Amino acid sequence: MASDAELIGRSLGGDGDAFMEVILRHEAAVGSYLARRAGREAAEDLLGDVWVAAFESRRSYDQSYSDARPWLYGVALNRLRRHWRSQPAEDLVPDVTSLATGWDPWSSVDDGVDTRAVLRGALAKLRPEEREVLTLVAWEDLTAADAARTLGMPAGTARRLLHQARKALRSAPDVAALLKDLNSVKEAHR
Amino acid sequence: MTDEMDLVSKLKDVESLRPEAYERARNALRAAMADPGTLRVKETAVQDNGFSSRRDGRRRVGTGGKVGIGAGIGVAAAAAAIALVATSGTTGSAVPAAAAGSGATTGTASRSPAATQSPLVTLAASIKANDHTAGDASVVIQSQRIGGKTPAAVYQVFADDGAVYSAGSLSGLPAAITPAGNQGGNSYDADLKVAILAANGNLAKARTEMIDNTSNNLGIGLSPAAQKADWAKIDQADKELYKEKDAKGTPPKMTAQRAQELADNYLWTNSFIALSTDNGNPLVREGVLRLLSTISGVSVAHTTTGGKATLTITAGPEVFTGDGSQVVVIDANTGTLLSSVSNSTGIAQSVTTYQVYRVSLAALKAGKLPSVTDGASA
Repeated sequence: MASDAELIGRSLGGDGDAFMEVILRHEAAVGSYLARRAGREAAEDLLGDVWVAAFESRRSYDQSYSDARPWLYGVALNRLRRHWRSQPAEDLVPDVTSLATGWDPWSSVDDGVDTRAVLRGALAKLRPEEREVLTLVAWEDLTAADAARTLGMPAGTARRLLHQARKALRSAPDVAALLKDLNSVKEAHR
Repeated sequence: MTDEMDLVSKLKDVESLRPEAYERARNALRAAMADPGTLRVKETAVQDNGFSSRRDGRRRVGTGGKVGIGAGIGVAAAAAAIALVATSGTTGSAVPAAAAGSGATTGTASRSPAATQSPLVTLAASIKANDHTAGDASVVIQSQRIGGKTPAAVYQVFADDGAVYSAGSLSGLPAAITPAGNQGGNSYDADLKVAILAANGNLAKARTEMIDNTSNNLGIGLSPAAQKADWAKIDQADKELYKEKDAKGTPPKMTAQRAQELADNYLWTNSFIALSTDNGNPLVREGVLRLLSTISGVSVAHTTTGGKATLTITAGPEVFTGDGSQVVVIDANTGTLLSSVSNSTGIAQSVTTYQVYRVSLAALKAGKLPSVTDGASA
């Protein structure tokens, strides 16, 4: 199977099908990336813009990387930033973590505590670049090096930011308490 | 042992984008690939320029963030149409669909409506009588093949009450029918509502509303003076866009003919979205056929597909502002969508086939799956 880099190379020679193949490989992942950060409705509006932007900028793709997904996340992030800038402040989602659904680990621990709010608060206190690296690794399953590609920074910088983000989260009192209780519950069930 | 990464990673679950959203995004890409001259504009340009836009800012293919040079507003490209192939056994000659439509711009005055009535109108009038299906929901299986690649299928359930559910396989549908899984209330509702309005008799109003379901500044329904003022703003915006992008040449001026072409493009595209979204609903089918009958660039032929009587509806290049076409095949008795194929210069052909089954939502939720034809249950 041809790599993404090979397909993008072919597209530069006029093979539109090749670029479409790249999109088909990554559309679900990029769609979810957008939805986690802007909500589903906005993600559906933005996805086409991301593909067009990627197509228009494909000449800048570094073909030494076989996998285009980190690059596509970077294109998507640029579109997200434009989207956020264009939105009235009151329409912005206050925090990306409020968009996540379907899981509440605290329900098995203490129904009176809003786990989502705990994490939202902790993530909000991170520096934006720390949060970006952390969520690219935690949500998009990228390595720190791939997150660096997405964000256009050296791999070492991304690793440092990830380390700082994790440390800050662990140190947040509410998160620390949550982790302690979660792990205690597991221990108690053994 | 749970750590902080575990906590954050478990928050990654998010509601998936709807299948039609992926298709729409691909179509935007196809349109861009087909039109190298397409210019990208600032995201808010169209909304901020003071045009008397008659709709909210909901964007469609080719609108909002992208503006073709000189288009003033974007064009939903031919690529926006997914389509079928199924062209076996075409018989008879094509009939202009718009011969009897309220918004028809073709046909001659000497013809009586009875003599020239579009097959689409004839079929629309009989859909209710021919619809003997039971149930309160439709299972729609779309299988799309792009450029000869392996087809991708999506499985959706459209309940008559507006709820929509989807899954990656037919067997996955029962589990998807939950309150949290309801994807109804989406941006396609407007197209469906207008289609039903067209079925219920107010075709002229429905036609205008369906066109305006794409945000535009064509001034449809406005006075000639107001319309002219809007067009002047479009022309001015195009000039500024050319200047900003240092584009060569001069943008074409908005004219009545160009406005008509764009209106037809929006009408076709939005009507087809309605047809392909909730094809199991006879009112939607009826309304869409009535709407399509008003487009002068659409022709209809009586055909046979797999031994079944069909109508082949062709939207020619004039519906896509000169480049592209879409061919749609529907059942000649029920109007059910069977397939669609779109072609546009330099873009891989997109071929989609449709299978529609009426079901009881409760029975489906309980695990009773419709009996589908080969290859649809994967």
